Amino acid sequence: MTRSLSDDRPDEPADRTESDGDAVADADPAAVTGGAVPDDPGRIKVGVGELAVTSDDAVLTTSGLGSCVAVALVDERAGVRGLLHAMLPAGEEKPTAAARPAKYVDTGVDSLIAALDDAGADPRRLEARVAGGAEMLDLTDAVGPRNVERVGEVLDAAGVPVVASDVGDAVGRTVRFGPDGRLVVRAADGFERAI
Amino acid sequence: MRVDVRALGACNRLAERGAKQAAGALSDLTGTDLAVEVTGASVASGEDLAEAFAGRESIGVSVGLRGGLDGEAVLAFDAVNVDALLSLLPGGQSMERSAVTEVGNIALGGFLDGWANFLGKAIDMSPPRYFEADGAAVLPDGALAGDGVFLFESRLDATTTDLDFSIYMLPDSGPFRDLIVGKTAPAAAAGGEANGGTTSTAVPYESLSTFSSLAKRGSSNAADNIAMMTGLETSVDVSRLRFVPLADVPAEVGTEPHAGTVFELQGEPSGYLAILFEESSAAAIADAMLPMDPDEPLGDMAENALCELGNVMTSGFIDGWANVLGTSITHSPPEFVHDIGASTISPLVAKLSERQDYGFVIDTAIETEGIQARCDVYALPDERELARALDRLSDP
Repeated sequence: MTRSLSDDRPDEPADRTESDGDAVADADPAAVTGGAVPDDPGRIKVGVGELAVTSDDAVLTTSGLGSCVAVALVDERAGVRGLLHAMLPAGEEKPTAAARPAKYVDTGVDSLIAALDDAGADPRRLEARVAGGAEMLDLTDAVGPRNVERVGEVLDAAGVPVVASDVGDAVGRTVRFGPDGRLVVRAADGFERAI
Repeated sequence: MRVDVRALGACNRLAERGAKQAAGALSDLTGTDLAVEVTGASVASGEDLAEAFAGRESIGVSVGLRGGLDGEAVLAFDAVNVDALLSLLPGGQSMERSAVTEVGNIALGGFLDGWANFLGKAIDMSPPRYFEADGAAVLPDGALAGDGVFLFESRLDATTTDLDFSIYMLPDSGPFRDLIVGKTAPAAAAGGEANGGTTSTAVPYESLSTFSSLAKRGSSNAADNIAMMTGLETSVDVSRLRFVPLADVPAEVGTEPHAGTVFELQGEPSGYLAILFEESSAAAIADAMLPMDPDEPLGDMAENALCELGNVMTSGFIDGWANVLGTSITHSPPEFVHDIGASTISPLVAKLSERQDYGFVIDTAIETEGIQARCDVYALPDERELARALDRLSDP
């Protein structure tokens, strides 16, 4: 094994100092808006337990949905869209839900609606499209169907109509939510449909 | 001395934030968007690390740390990615060494800012040193010594080009150990009181190094069982135990189609184990196991073969754990999966996430000679039960 070293930049040692002093235990602000990373100007990747909102032409994407559920909400008139990738049905009363609301369907949908509202959408004009919630495994007592059921309940309570869905079965899905407001769902075999 | 394993969760989160800062700094410098894909805290022995890095060539930048943290941080690129990196930088190829040094300096500075914030103490960085290294020599000095080190590893991904790299930080384990204990002792003590000391996630510091034995023992048993069953020479390529946010696990498996088997574990610890092959590997190994060519590459016959293989691997794996921990663990029958990799593992992650946000992931790549087949084993134990078993292990 070799390891050759050289000092290319004989600068003074850089001093890393405290800047905002926030504690690690604090809720990560990025998690509230999803912590989603814009990977190019036109595409925003939403990870597991994250959400993101856009009011421009960006395409919101989330991949590898199994039992997780994707909830896509749009206010077409305001041109504001948001996408949630939630993992579990119920976060209310869970201490971790405050730090990571998008992990759960109930707290996630509430956060998504609030974020859309902040971005200029009118919650009364929102329409929902839902994908995922597959029953991938017999081992894991129907977490997918429970996610889908919870989405229905939470959207119903919020007065948001579900205009289309592609849920259940035992199939993984990847989704794209573009500026036309349609949700493009792609399965593992490459089959795609827009809902 | 006791360490709360959840303190590793806090550290992991910190490393993740640091990596995000590093990605931001690099994005500004290169004009390329970089995303933090995965951040993991690992506890690994020098021997395991040397094996894991065998045959890899890296270039990178190292800085020494003094002040809030003592130790060394390293930013490393796979040597094969260097051209892609240089094409992004002002000055391009002609600037190789100084350009890489500059990138490393900026990214490591961003990374350490997060830690300085957390500690409330300045961290002094020594001037960056450029290096080229073979194998585990890329790791901070001292990583190969001793039998249990903390290592933080982040992978950043440039989505528009093929470039990713890792940041390794090895805090001198003495001061770092004190840091973890200092930050978490009250929580660990409170947990012990509230639960009569039985369900706490605090474990003796010394038993952290047992984690790496777990990964290693389980993997080599599984590989031996494949060899016995198939007659193919089989080796364990990588075997490490990392502590990662569970939500990152599906992204780590990726969106390529995978086939394999999933098991539920019962006993101490309980949890899940997934053995996933990329499709071509799954078909190749099933083909090698079957007496005749299957009708279709991943049809019923291949499914049966992969389930049987999964059974012997899982038995080998958990026997290894049970031996190390002195507990009894059993597994469910195999459940065959064939779908987008991330999708197959998402229900397991969801189930574990009901009780914990971070998980111990044991990454193992098992390779069989003669045919091109490799698989990844994701072992996801319940953190409380694992901590309890490790704790018992250290009792005289």
